[in-house]
Amino acid sequence: MNLFLILLFPLIGFTINGFIHLKSAKSGAKASAKQTGVIATLAMFASFFVSAFYYLQFSGMAESSRLIEQSLFTWMNLGSFNVDFALRLDSLSLLFTLVITGVGSLIHLYSIGYMSEDESPARYFAYLNLFCFMMLNLVLGATMPHVFLGWEGVGLASYLLIGYWHQDVEKVGAGQKAFVMNRIGDLGFLIAMFITYKYVGSLDLMVLQKATLNPAIAATIGFLIFFACTGKSAQIPLFTWLPDAMAGPTPVSALIHAATMVTSGIYLLNRISPLLLQSPEVMSVIAMVGVTTAFVSAIIGCAQKDIKKILAYSTVSQLGFMFLACGVGAFDAGVFHVMTHAFFKALMFLGAGSVIHALHHEQNVFKMGGLRKKLPITTFTFVMGWAAILGLPPFSGFFSKDEIIIQSLHSPHGNQILFIMALASALLTAFYMTRLLVLVFFSPSRMEKETEEHVHESPLTMTIPLIVLAILSLVGGFMHHSEGGHQDSINIIIASVVVALVGAAFGFFRYRKFDKEEITNAFVEQGLGFDVFYNKFFGNGVPALAKGVSKWVEELFVQNTIRFCSWMVQFSGNVLKSFQVGSMQAYLLMMVVLGLVLLIWVLQSMMQGVFFYGK
Amino acid sequence: MMLVVSCTVFLIGLMGVIFRKNLLIVLMSVELMLNAVNLSFVTFSKMHNSLDGQIAVLFVMTVAAAESAVGLGLVIALFRTLKTADSDQIQMLRD
Repeated sequence: MNLFLILLFPLIGFTINGFIHLKSAKSGAKASAKQTGVIATLAMFASFFVSAFYYLQFSGMAESSRLIEQSLFTWMNLGSFNVDFALRLDSLSLLFTLVITGVGSLIHLYSIGYMSEDESPARYFAYLNLFCFMMLNLVLGATMPHVFLGWEGVGLASYLLIGYWHQDVEKVGAGQKAFVMNRIGDLGFLIAMFITYKYVGSLDLMVLQKATLNPAIAATIGFLIFFACTGKSAQIPLFTWLPDAMAGPTPVSALIHAATMVTSGIYLLNRISPLLLQSPEVMSVIAMVGVTTAFVSAIIGCAQKDIKKILAYSTVSQLGFMFLACGVGAFDAGVFHVMTHAFFKALMFLGAGSVIHALHHEQNVFKMGGLRKKLPITTFTFVMGWAAILGLPPFSGFFSKDEIIIQSLHSPHGNQILFIMALASALLTAFYMTRLLVLVFFSPSRMEKETEEHVHESPLTMTIPLIVLAILSLVGGFMHHSEGGHQDSINIIIASVVVALVGAAFGFFRYRKFDKEEITNAFVEQGLGFDVFYNKFFGNGVPALAKGVSKWVEELFVQNTIRFCSWMVQFSGNVLKSFQVGSMQAYLLMMVVLGLVLLIWVLQSMMQGVFFYGK
Repeated sequence: MMLVVSCTVFLIGLMGVIFRKNLLIVLMSVELMLNAVNLSFVTFSKMHNSLDGQIAVLFVMTVAAAESAVGLGLVIALFRTLKTADSDQIQMLRD
């Protein structure tokens, strides 16, 4: 068995579907969604089986020896700078690999149904396979450049898939926004890489983990990597791209913008966790940013009307929880939440996709309602997801989220502020999720008559992934062994469940009989003005700055410097020209005078020399 | 004593070359300078009891003869084209 096989299958799927797309684009014939989808899905399943094989192999090994390394070839060799194209599998990357290939396979399967009426399914599945290939590179890469390759690759795939319906200018814009916001974060990654190479001397992640560094440098690298993670994992200040990324097809939102890509920030923070533990300041920044993001985006989520936007803000909020976990040093809890969140959030996105599919691309929750009778499987599975995200026992979210909340108070890096904000976010989460659930499935129908008649349950390819994910959301929590509780852990658990129930009850009674469109605060609905601020500050500020520079620096400084240079040349030319009188005898006179001067100078220095030596 | 004479003659020749306007006189002044140098050569030869200086003089005289022939030829050619032998009138170098 070869580690490279995990990467190989999605790559093959990408290549085949890419060629099918090119061929169909040339001939004008539409490729079949079933055919291309099956190729892509099989590729993912194959990759999943290879990962599962490694899982079995790992479970037979002692915990400390769970490490497989494979160097494929020398990637870069520039004198002393040497990077191998190497894959490394340990428990952390295996967990991510399983989530990517497992949830990925289900979402590929789901896509066959969802994209059945699409114009260019081959292109869609090629992109989806490309994404998985890149994401696997990210988690399996042994060196920083390799992780960066995957990091950029998933950014590219995300951009391509958000703007997948490229006839729509708005969707293309959303793709560009995601790409640009990510690039800002990537700058942090690049600089961190440069600093690492300078002070550690190697870009191997394991060497970086074991390096003993000057605390200031460790903090700088940690902070820069964290900044990169805020871009990819949609944290404040770079989170605004994720809600817009919902312009892509819904399975894409489930796979990339909920389950996998956005969690790569957590992966990277885990990878450099020994470094972060050396710098408490960076840890507290991460925790604060995480909990603030969780809280702020939960508030925004309460005012959204688009079903996917609600889920998007919920994703941002949950990612905030994971960052909080990393920030308080509970890296395991963060990764555990990545896994459970991948299950229930992918489930909810796919459920939302099923609803959108049934309603012919209606996304406003106030134009839905009463779908529980018409979409029984979707409703049932969605309720499972809802229970999981609320953290009701024994669903998976209960274990992971409560562990984070406990750690936010009891870990050495935790404190009361983090704990209270985390609880408040959990309350808001319960509220907006119940709001979503009730408005879509339980409240009286607010649909137009015509749409209502065409509502139908989704095909089997779409419901099977829902069911599998629902089961995983239920049992996912038992896959992790929590290490002994603190004394009042039980109190906190009770508190957090009560908080969730209060939020849910409030949401339930408020929206149970809603029959009109809610009037929400426009400021909150549009994301608390982050976008407006960025537009004003960077959108208008940067051109204004450029104008100022062109006016003051360029005209006053650069142009005048050049003008002075040209004037100098002209002036010296004029001065020298006056010597060129053209009369031979004048030249002769100058020569004689100069010769005399030289003679005097030579004589004088000779005299001094004599004088000097004479002494 | 002879060196002082030689220097004086050299300077007179130099002044002539620089300040006289007639090209023929300039040419003669050049000859004057050469002869001043010859004089100093002979003087030094006598002072150091060496014949080297006197041999150099013979060379200088040969070269001077050739040079004055060439110089005179140039002056005649200039006079033919420009109808003048006044150095102030001949200022074509500038253009």
